[in-house]
Amino acid sequence: MNVKSLIKRNYNKQPEIDFPDYKSSIFRAPKNKKISFASTDTEIFGPIFKKNIIGEFDNNLTLNFSINKNSPLGHKIIVYGTVSDQFSNPIEGALIEIWQANSAGKYLHNNDKNSAPIDPNFAGCGRCLTTSRGYYEFLTIQPGPYPYLNRGVEWRPMHIHFSIFGKSFGQRLITQMYFEGDPLIKHCPMVNSIADEKAKKSLVGILDTSRSNKQNLLAYKFDIVLRGIKQTYFENRREGL
Amino acid sequence: MSTSKENLAETPFQTAGPFLHIGCMPNAIKINKLYQNDLGEIPFNNKNEAELITIKGSIFDGNGIALDDVMLETWQCDEKGEFKEDSGFARFVPNYLTKKFILKTVKPGPFKGYDGKIHSPHISLSISSRGLNMTLNTRIYFEGDELKNDPLLSIINNCNLNSLIAKKTKKNSYLFNIFLQGEKETIFLDI
Ligand SMILES: [Fe+3]
Repeated sequence: MNVKSLIKRNYNKQPEIDFPDYKSSIFRAPKNKKISFASTDTEIFGPIFKKNIIGEFDNNLTLNFSINKNSPLGHKIIVYGTVSDQFSNPIEGALIEIWQANSAGKYLHNNDKNSAPIDPNFAGCGRCLTTSRGYYEFLTIQPGPYPYLNRGVEWRPMHIHFSIFGKSFGQRLITQMYFEGDPLIKHCPMVNSIADEKAKKSLVGILDTSRSNKQNLLAYKFDIVLRGIKQTYFENRREGL
Repeated sequence: MSTSKENLAETPFQTAGPFLHIGCMPNAIKINKLYQNDLGEIPFNNKNEAELITIKGSIFDGNGIALDDVMLETWQCDEKGEFKEDSGFARFVPNYLTKKFILKTVKPGPFKGYDGKIHSPHISLSISSRGLNMTLNTRIYFEGDELKNDPLLSIINNCNLNSLIAKKTKKNSYLFNIFLQGEKETIFLDI
């Protein structure tokens, strides 16, 4: 018998869910302790997404919404990295979906009430599947920081939202990437909901100057780690032996 | 996959925020020249209406307000208890006027787990939104099914156990409300 189980999540390296500094968590964060249990097929198996859902320009946010190939405003960046599991094995075929504000800090969304302008050539959405070595890459525009209402007006650091599916529903991850050197990072309650300094730092995309200089764009490297899956083999034994 | 000790920490979660539709369901907010379909619009595309059940419900915050800026994702096996890589996943949001979500899917079958035990029919459900620093996970079980020997349900000692069980409202229709806080707080799972 082959038993698979997800490595237990280390909540010391995850954000606190009940974190009043982030005001909208106050009436949304559950108060009771989560129930732990042994992984079942439901958590281990799928879903898995196939190449046929991905269009040619889905990972190029500078082109996928532009009119007559006009560039969106702002400077172009490459965001790249790998998706691996906790054993450092690359994950092939992981689906990454991203969304972000435009260079002025405005989302193409009715609920975004910021007075910053929308960019007619930029939707701020992209997706891709990782390669056999777990590699992904997006070409996009540097998102602007933006103000929002929290404990009064506060500013979000520049960020890109990431949603990732690995091979298991239990590996599902939604997070944000920040940008090296952004002075707003240390003021952000969403970042600070993570107590562990190393874990916090792992959300910061690192400027890659070698690649930036070669390709006339700024490049940022952001590696993602999904939960590992353990396999244990048991000999099949007859009942009672 | 390996049996050696893990050496990397899982990347931390961050909130999906209020604008998750842009990345996860752009067509639903009329950004519709990018992706042909939003992911998970139909969990089983080879089934007809008569083979499906309907699960309706709302998500309530601690003030008892039904939310609409929340994304739900479900994952399940088929009616035979088999997991297929490319079907069984759905992604949806509550209607912004009625604040109700509707999931039309196959009623999952029971399956035999790694532990050799029979797991009662259930759907895994995740909830992501503004105000949630991490995605929440729970399960939908079904009223009327054999539930008392289910390996998960039988280890839960909590008076809100019913929060995991969808109520049967009529033939093939179920009600499943989710309470993020308060007396009726839904049981959430460390999956
Ligand atoms: Fe954001």
